Amino acid sequence: MRSALPLIRVQRRLEVPRRVSAAVSAVFILLSFAVAALIFELMGVSSIATFGVIASVFTNPNLLLQAILRGLPIGLAALGLSIAFRMNFWNIGAEGQLYMGMFAATGVVLLHEYQGLIAEPLVIVFMVLASFVAGGLYCALSAALKAKMGVNEVLTTLMLNYVAILFVDFLVYGPWRDPKGFNFPLSIQFPDYARLGFVMGSPSYEGLAMLLVVAFLVYGLMRHTTLGFEMRVVGESPEVAKHAGISYAKALIIGGFISGGLAGIAGFSVVSGIIGRLRPRASPGYGYTAIIVAFLALLNPWLIIPASIFFGGLIVAGDLIQASLKLPFAAVQIFQSIIFLFIIAGEFMKRYRIIVSWR
Amino acid sequence: MADVAWIESVLSGAVQAGTVYLLASLGEVYAERSGILNLGLEGMMIIGVAVSFIFTNALGHGAALLVTMLVGGLVALILAFMAVSLRLNQIVVGLALTLFGLGLSGFITSAEIRKGILLSLNPNLSEATLVTQQAPKLPNIAIPVLSEIPLIGEPLFNQNILVYVSYILAIVMWFVLFRTRFGLSLRSVGENPAMADAMGVNVYLMRYIATVIGGMLGALAGAYLFIGYQPFWQEGMTQGRGFISLALVILATWSPLRAILGAYLFGGVEVLQFRLQLLGVGAQTPQFLLMLPYLVTIVTLTLLSFEGVKKRIGVPAALATPYSRE
Repeated sequence: MRSALPLIRVQRRLEVPRRVSAAVSAVFILLSFAVAALIFELMGVSSIATFGVIASVFTNPNLLLQAILRGLPIGLAALGLSIAFRMNFWNIGAEGQLYMGMFAATGVVLLHEYQGLIAEPLVIVFMVLASFVAGGLYCALSAALKAKMGVNEVLTTLMLNYVAILFVDFLVYGPWRDPKGFNFPLSIQFPDYARLGFVMGSPSYEGLAMLLVVAFLVYGLMRHTTLGFEMRVVGESPEVAKHAGISYAKALIIGGFISGGLAGIAGFSVVSGIIGRLRPRASPGYGYTAIIVAFLALLNPWLIIPASIFFGGLIVAGDLIQASLKLPFAAVQIFQSIIFLFIIAGEFMKRYRIIVSWR
Repeated sequence: MADVAWIESVLSGAVQAGTVYLLASLGEVYAERSGILNLGLEGMMIIGVAVSFIFTNALGHGAALLVTMLVGGLVALILAFMAVSLRLNQIVVGLALTLFGLGLSGFITSAEIRKGILLSLNPNLSEATLVTQQAPKLPNIAIPVLSEIPLIGEPLFNQNILVYVSYILAIVMWFVLFRTRFGLSLRSVGENPAMADAMGVNVYLMRYIATVIGGMLGALAGAYLFIGYQPFWQEGMTQGRGFISLALVILATWSPLRAILGAYLFGGVEVLQFRLQLLGVGAQTPQFLLMLPYLVTIVTLTLLSFEGVKKRIGVPAALATPYSRE
């Protein structure tokens, strides 16, 4: 007898074909658009106007360059996170590591301005290096606590975000405040040699080049080096890693260092490429958006580039929406998080197939 | 120097600040006892703040508290659906919900949209109410006799209703968790879901219930933070209190009663930070004092990870692991 209700069974897929995976992602991203539209309409906001603004960002060349620029810190941090997540190291601290990178990059500029220890053309090189080390050490702290004592990294990296933001607050409200800045909490403006874009003329071009180089390095590291192999094994199974003679602690701490270091460089890209100085709360959550991007790109370094530009575009759209539609920036945050939720839900559809039968 | 009145006021402040943590960690104790790690707690809390802010101004305290808990429960339902039914990674789902909560709270409290919501709820509101960033605070109710006890009477028994609710909840939730059949089922689901299932416990249902309780109390903690403690809206004003509550659950070793001590300890740290600022410590650069709660959390987590301690604090064995019958 035919029952009134269909029988719904869920079956695990043994393998996920690439085509299924891509199709599911596409469908779920479209679904997230629909749900976001619904929420906007419920709040009495025109979803067509909102999406129109978002679409305009990607069709207007000038705005697209802006999208690339705002996507740069997101992409760099996401590349770092892709390493951490492959190790099963839940680094939620990209935001804090990014702030430490901003701190270190600004420190190098100030050091040169006031002490003049570094040759001018080398300043930007040292900025990158310093921000890498600062972000890296900041993340390695959580990695070491996890590797040596089993402290949950989710909570420590999260807590360190708040600490880093307050630390940068302290600097710009205190010792690093521009003496000629009318008491505003801002550092001095960076001179041209410390700005991204002084080689190719636009920070967007240089930023994109930087993103490609880092993606290539991360891909090479994870696929073609012993360290990368060890980190992947640690992520798959710490037990197997132990039997294979891989030091869990070493892989985790070095991997954590690189992961945080890339978020640190993301911080460099914010102060050097986007703002041109240090100010409080300089990141509108790039480090958190990077988590979404890493997942959307399935931790693949190459896919992280378009994904980060897309989310960079959303941030640009957020600014436009604020100005033209008088909507809060939070509209973009809602949109981002809904995309995130749907990407995650899409994972289920990839892993399982749903069979509906009428018997 | 430190006279009785000063100590009383510090203790009172610790209880007031700590109640946010207490309410949130009580709910989280249930969720984690059932095996669900709710990293969305921060988001549920900030939604609680935003909803209580709007609804208090529109309809008053009672309605605000009800709606807040309802909304918190609904958001938790999303978490339960994704983590329990779809068996997705709880860390990622929770994080997504926290980001969602931060976005939603900023969205509904932004000037224009808030005005629209307020007017649709209550068309008779004054212009001042439509633009205010504040809400009326819950009144303190002194409990006769008990509030007269020297030193602890004032801090414990001259507070607002939500503080008393948190005491009662802590005791009731402890009793239910450790002395009833329902509590036994809840704990078994978090320890060994396969066995619980074999014994006839509905694993999914228990986890849904526990997660929703956690979300309701997380949002209630947010409502308390606003109308019971600091009734002045600022975007993102929870400032990681939801995440700190997650750490407190570990400190409380998943017991509702021990959550009281942990919550007031952290409330104390928060109050100390204000007090030191009042005394002129870090007057120019308060940032280092503001870092205290986060640093204390990290140190606490580290201390709890020493081998000897770790052995004694049984984590729910199935925490953050999805269950499926396959």
